[in-house]
Formats: sequence, C-alpha cells, structure tokens
Amino acid sequence: MRAALAKASLIRHRARTVLAVLGVAVAAAMLLDMVMLATGMRESFRELLLSRGFEIRLAPKGTLPFDTDATIPGVSAIIATLRANPDIREISPVLGASIHILAGNHDISGSALGIDPSVEGDYELLSGRDVTTPDAIVANDHLLSQLGARVGDTLSVATGYDPQTRTYSGQRKLVVTGRVRFIYGANDQSSSAMRRETLEAMGGQARDRASLFMVRVRKGANAEQVRDWIDKQLPNVTAISIATAIAQVDERLSYFRQLALILGAVSLFVGFLLVTTLVTVSVNERVGEIAVMRAIGVSRSHVVEQIVLEGVAISFAGAVLGLALGLVTARYLNTILSAFPGLPMSINFFLFQPKAAWSALGLLIASGIGAGIYPAWRAASLPIAESLRREAIA
Amino acid sequence: MFAFLLASFLVQGSSSVGRAPAPAVERRTIAIDAALAARAHLRIGDRVSVSARPGTIGDTVIVGAIVRRGADPSEVARGDLRVRMHLDQIQTIAGYGDRVDRFAIATTPAAAIPRLIDRINRVAFGFKAYRSRDIAVETSRTFQVVSRFHRAIGIITIVASSVFLLCIMVLKVEERRRDIAALRLMGISRATVVRSIVMEAAVVAVLGSALGVLLGWAASLLVNWHYQALYRTPLEFSIVTLPTVVFAVALSLVLGIAAGVAASLRFVRTPPLTLFGR
Repeated sequence: MRAALAKASLIRHRARTVLAVLGVAVAAAMLLDMVMLATGMRESFRELLLSRGFEIRLAPKGTLPFDTDATIPGVSAIIATLRANPDIREISPVLGASIHILAGNHDISGSALGIDPSVEGDYELLSGRDVTTPDAIVANDHLLSQLGARVGDTLSVATGYDPQTRTYSGQRKLVVTGRVRFIYGANDQSSSAMRRETLEAMGGQARDRASLFMVRVRKGANAEQVRDWIDKQLPNVTAISIATAIAQVDERLSYFRQLALILGAVSLFVGFLLVTTLVTVSVNERVGEIAVMRAIGVSRSHVVEQIVLEGVAISFAGAVLGLALGLVTARYLNTILSAFPGLPMSINFFLFQPKAAWSALGLLIASGIGAGIYPAWRAASLPIAESLRREAIA
Repeated sequence: MFAFLLASFLVQGSSSVGRAPAPAVERRTIAIDAALAARAHLRIGDRVSVSARPGTIGDTVIVGAIVRRGADPSEVARGDLRVRMHLDQIQTIAGYGDRVDRFAIATTPAAAIPRLIDRINRVAFGFKAYRSRDIAVETSRTFQVVSRFHRAIGIITIVASSVFLLCIMVLKVEERRRDIAALRLMGISRATVVRSIVMEAAVVAVLGSALGVLLGWAASLLVNWHYQALYRTPLEFSIVTLPTVVFAVALSLVLGIAAGVAASLRFVRTPPLTLFGR
C-alpha cells in the first residue's frame, strides 16, 4: 500500500522524477568513482608489490627502489647476512643500468635489469625461455618493436656511454631468448633483463653491486619484524616493507585521496539536497491530500513511511543508474591517469571492488532516508482540520 | 665564484647531515630549503656535516641561508630535501671531478635561439643543447595528465550541476502553477506570463550563481591555504578566473531560462482550471 502510494506520487510528476533520478545518478557515479579512487590506488599498488610474493625491498640508504642511480656494494656479504635470519626464505638481488642497443649507425636506449633467473620477481615470461645462459637477454614488446627484433635474434648491447668520448664501457653480443612483461614497468618503457653477472661485466663498474634486493619471508613470519632486523643489521640500506611502501605512495599521492574525499562528500551532499528538495516540494503540493489521508484514519507512521519511501526510491533508482555510469566514467578517468609517465602498467587508480560499490550504494540509500525525514516529519505533523480548510479555500 | 648547484644533490637522511663539533678553521656556507630546516631543526649559523655517502664523515659547513622553494609544480608532492652548495665543493664531495650535470645559458633578447642551439650541438663534444621550453614540455607531462584529469572531473561536475539546476528550476516554476492559472483567468496574455516566469527564473539563476561564485572563491582560498601548507609551496592550486566566473554564470543563466521556458510553456498551454485542479 505504502509502496503503491509512493510510486503513484512519483509517477504523477514524471518529468521531475526523471530529472531527480538523473541528478542522483550523476552524483552517485561521481561518488562511486571517488570511493574507487580513494581505495583503489592503495589496493592496486599493494597487489602489484605482492604479485610475486616479495614482501621487503632493500634500496640504497635514503632512496626508493630505482629512484636514483645509487647502488649497494657487497652483494655476497649482504646475502650472507640475510641468510642468517631463518624468517628470510628467498633473496633476489637486482642491478639496474641503462643500455644502448646498436642498430646500424644509431642506437636505441633502454633499461636493463641484471637478475638471477632462479629468484627473479620482476617480469613474466610471455614466450621463449629465460636468461639461463650468460649471453641471453629477454626484452619487453616495446623494446622488441623498436628494434624490429624477435626471439632468436642477436643484439649488439652496450652499457656505460661516456658522452665526452662517445664510447661505451662495455659491449657484447646477446641473444634474445624470450619475450617478457615487466611487472613494475611502464607501458612506454623499453626494458630488458639479463643475468646480473653479464650486466656487471659489461658495466665496467665495481663488481658485486646491486640496485635493489627483493626479500621473500617465510610463510607466517612477520615482515615488519624482519624489516626492523634488516635495518639494524645493514646500516647502508633502507629496508622497505609493503606497509612502508604504501605509506610512502600514500604520502606522494595524498592529493588524489583528498580530492576523492572532497568530491565524494560534495556528490553525496548534492544528491541529498536534490532528493530533499524534490520530496519537500512534493509534500507541499499534497498538503490537502495528506490531510485527507490523516482525516480518514491513516496513521502518522504510514504517512512518514510513504514519504521516506519516495526519497529512498529516487535515491535507489539514481544509485543503480549511477553505479553503471560510474563504472564507465571510472574506466575513462583511469585511462587518463594511466598516462602518468613511468607509472607501472598494472597500477589502476580506479580499482573496482564490490566493497566500494556497496559503500556508495549504502551511503546513497542512507542519504535518501535522511532526505525524506524532514518532509515526512512535516507531513506527519500537519494540523488536519486547518490544512483541509486551507485546501478548500484554495 | 659563489655558484649554487641548483639541483640533484639529495640529502640522505640524518646520517649525512648532522650537527658537527665547532671547527677551528673558517667554514664554507650552504643554503638549505625550509623543509630540511624544519625537519632537522636547523637554523642559520648552525654547523652541519655534509657527505654524499651515508655513514661517512663529510665536510663541515655552516648553514648560511634557508631558502623557500619557488612555485615549481614539478616539486609538489616530492619529499626531496635540498641543499645548495658551492659548485667546487659538491664536485669534491660527490667525487664528480670537474663535471656538472647541466649548464643553463642566458641569451640576449635578440639572440636567434634555434641557430645558437644548432651551433652548440655542431661544435660541442659530449653534450647536447635543448631549448628550455622543450625541456619544460617534457618534464610537464605529469601536469598535463593531472590537468586532463581535472578537466574530465570538471565536465562530470558540470553535468551534475546542470541536472541539479534544471531540476530545481523546474520545481520552482511548477510551484507557480496556481499563480499562472490566476493570471491567465484575469486575462493576462500567454506571452506576458511566459516572459514573467522566464525573467523570474533568470533572476533566481543569476542570484544563485553569484552566491555560488562567492562560495567557490571561499573554497578556492581554503584549497590554496591547505595545499600550500601541506606541500610547503607558494604555488596556487586553485584560481578563480574571470572566464570561469563568466562560464558558471552563463551556464546557470542558460539552464535557468531553459527550465523557465519549458515549464511555463507547458503551463500556459494547459487550461487554467485544470491548473487549479478542477
């Protein structure tokens, strides 16, 4: 009965109901997008860091991984120290360097990682085989397409370019053994990987250095405790756990979280205001009708429920439409933000999580109920006789 | 030569910059940025030890100046702490030798810059010259992305505001249904009724948008105050410009008039007694 009356009331003014639903839908879309933005970045980054199960990263003191050209000396000694902790299961040292691949009279620049293929955690092999031999190199599609090279081709790879003498410190023929996708690499980045000893030998720099260590802890071990232990044992490195890394990213991207919070709150307020206005005007127009209902014995609670139901119906319809609209706009906005230079391609700023959708829907329904309360209270407290007299005179 | 190296010397935590014992010899001075001064509790005249490698004993220098960063968008949200030193000193500390990362060249106003760049690139051995503008374009990619994102969010906000405004204006005009019926029964022409309703809608739209501009201006002050404090920068994050105000008022006026015309035309075509509910 209440639902039928609420429905009849909304259908009576189709144009304004449709407009209100549209308004709530746009506000809901914005709200969903902002909830996704506020939580998605952090979750996406966490998933990215955990994708290969390495919970701790060691970078040169005071830096973030690959933030500078600094390297950590004494790889063997560091590995030996780390192995003394029974909670550490696997250690993957990584050396980063710029490489130049010579193609005729020009060269193509890219980045190379020197890794140990048995414990690497930087890429996924798409085709071919890993860098099992010292003369092997694997590359991503961007670099291969720049070179016009395929698996099996031999490349002339050089490192340590000195612009003053226009010479390289090391040069070597390497065979492309596989196509890979770098997990932490950007879309437009030309990247490759080879064995660490191969890259070290080409670099001409001091041996036994790494740019980064990735550490996998034993299942059930507390990564934060291991990180603290590493910090004490190795004063020349900064140990970064997933929680620390997320905190650092949070700090750098705090602008987006705050923007999401402000725009989300504004969207919710706009939706609330719209529904309140509409239901209030609707109640004002039906003063006589409500007075008649009350006069024939319809209870106050019945009137309140009917009017609150109208607000909830508009909010719910708008929210459902808005959630669909929000997913489309989120994809569009994510495409824009994915163009950030150097951003790993797996990072999503707008990550859809059912929890985000439920949160947005819940907030809108709650605001719909809140929006109906004031007009419902007004309707329920109308003086019956006076309202009927005023309606008759009008 | 008292040339400051403008960039790229990253101070590596408190192990590299720390208070040092008072020296007997005359020390050289460095300039530090306000963020470093605040974090390390440093003041002008303090002696600090500066090194390029953590945990090593470095040069003892005196804080000669605390500088505030310029309004450079590329530095927003970066946590780097910066020190400006004499060029020769940083070359020694960093083991750089007689090298620099880059030269900045000031030209005379009449200089033909493309020809100058060509000439440098032809004769120079080991480095390449770029126009500052080209470097700025390359380094501003991040801000172009943020700008595109803001534009997209702005469009969604405009759509939401438009629907909201349209809805409110339709409701506002619908509230006048009985007044319109009375006017029509008194013999006032349809055109006059439409004009008066549209005028009323336009006035409401303009007054509403004026209030909106004031609110927007206040919000802009709040945004700037918050983010300038957060990122320690004089950069303005939000600016209320005349074109923005004109656009907001014009959009609101157009939507108000459209809603007024649509609703009033519907009402003047409906028989007055029907509007009264008879």
